[in-house]
Amino acid sequence: MSSMEEVMIHSSSFLLPSIPADKASAYAIVVLNQNLPRFTPLLWEHAKLRLCADGGANRIYDELPLFFPHEDALLIRNRYKPDVIKGDMDSIRPDVLNFYVSLGTKVIDESHDQDTTDLDKCILFIRDSTLNQESCRLQILATGALGGRFDHEAGNLNVLYRYPDTRIILLSDDCLIQLLPKTHRHEIRVQPSLQGPHCGLIPIGAPSAKTTTTGLQWDLNNTEMRFGGLVSTSNMVKGEKITVESDSDLLWTISIKKQDSTRP
Amino acid sequence: MIPAMEVMSHSSSFLLPADEASAKRYALIVLNQNLPRFTPLLWEHAKLRLCADGGANRIYDELPLFFPREDALLIRNRYKPDVIKGDMDSIRPDVLHFYLSLGTKVIDESHDQDTTDLDKCILFIRDSPLNQESSKLQILATGALGGRFDHEAGNLNVLYRYPDTKITLLSDDCLIQLLPKIHRHEIHIQPSLLGPHCGLIPIGAPSAKTTTTGLQWDLTDTEMRFGGLVSTSNLVKGEKITVESDSDLLWTIPIKKQDPNKTLRSG
Repeated sequence: MSSMEEVMIHSSSFLLPSIPADKASAYAIVVLNQNLPRFTPLLWEHAKLRLCADGGANRIYDELPLFFPHEDALLIRNRYKPDVIKGDMDSIRPDVLNFYVSLGTKVIDESHDQDTTDLDKCILFIRDSTLNQESCRLQILATGALGGRFDHEAGNLNVLYRYPDTRIILLSDDCLIQLLPKTHRHEIRVQPSLQGPHCGLIPIGAPSAKTTTTGLQWDLNNTEMRFGGLVSTSNMVKGEKITVESDSDLLWTISIKKQDSTRP
Repeated sequence: MIPAMEVMSHSSSFLLPADEASAKRYALIVLNQNLPRFTPLLWEHAKLRLCADGGANRIYDELPLFFPREDALLIRNRYKPDVIKGDMDSIRPDVLHFYLSLGTKVIDESHDQDTTDLDKCILFIRDSPLNQESSKLQILATGALGGRFDHEAGNLNVLYRYPDTKITLLSDDCLIQLLPKIHRHEIHIQPSLLGPHCGLIPIGAPSAKTTTTGLQWDLTDTEMRFGGLVSTSNLVKGEKITVESDSDLLWTIPIKKQDPNKTLRSG
């Protein structure tokens, strides 16, 4: 493997209650239309820019108050106000739309554009946002991209491949998914109290002739991976640092631990 | 084009009410996710019913919920798996004992950590005397999607690793089938039950040329690849779709949410 390849470092500090200053990254959150992961309030707190993709606004409206059962729902809805609602507007409920419009949320109706997904539209907005600076690019945290219709899920996975220069992390209650572009060597920093131990490396889109890893229970060593053959699933992280080097773009996935529900 | 490529026909008759004609050509595997609401219907269609490990918890816990006016114990007796197979790290002891006492065959494969629970079940079905050369069982699998993505990817990979076996992955929202590149495909749709959205996904490798008929946005020798065009949020136009490709594709179509008082349940 080329030693000239730049290292790309991946951390999951967005899952920490507070992010150490030396690890601070700037985040944007995109909420799509599936059940909210239980750590959504935490992601929301970390984000500089908060978008709902169409029906994702219904989820924020309906489900966020459920995370704060001892608080008044209206207070919660006011507190967790999206900056932007964008998409083709065929899923958002009228009452939800009116509520956020009255709070000052910017609504961008893109129903004329049927060629791109709601997630695409949100990513383009974030990329062009003044908050997304050359010196400090926003990493995008997207919830609700998985589950539901499989063609939606596949389209959302494809978004990772189509914006390889943008850090996008898909999050569900169960796991996260990130793209590891073949152009880089990768160092993945794991929070063992929050993630794992199960993980996988998935050659979605094209086979990999050679992938090499360190830090996994079943490390790969110039190993071939392909659909129809070996795909690294139900692997396990052994420590806090994983390295990956591959001739093909891979999806990295790791499970998110179900915490004691009384903890933040 | 390759001359005389055999046509592979796909239908979803397992979503229609079970009758003599549908004659038990199916095997059902229940994996460990929420049961789709039409699970009782799939159960009726199946000649062979397996639970993969924690899938047995789902049958035990969730099937009675589909029959709220009936006694749970009666339902559990009626929907008895033939086999429970897997590494047994998810099935609850009370569930295991219940089905053992009913005569379910339990095959503990905890020594084998190299294959997934779905693999283990497919191998069992393939080797079953009910699976005859003249009349191969088509496999319906619930609970293969959702949850941990590495599990889901492993289950999608199962479709690629058994290309000669018809396997349909089913969730409440959609179904997924493999369209092997060695065949031309005819997909027959029940518009009252499926669609209209659909997709063709080149999960494992790019496709240089795919051609379809019957879709809103048909492909004509079109290239598809991750990083480029993937056919998602397409629409079926009628009741027959054809697909021909140089690459193995996943076909997916949503299952309509029916009025709960209408069919899509057995009996």
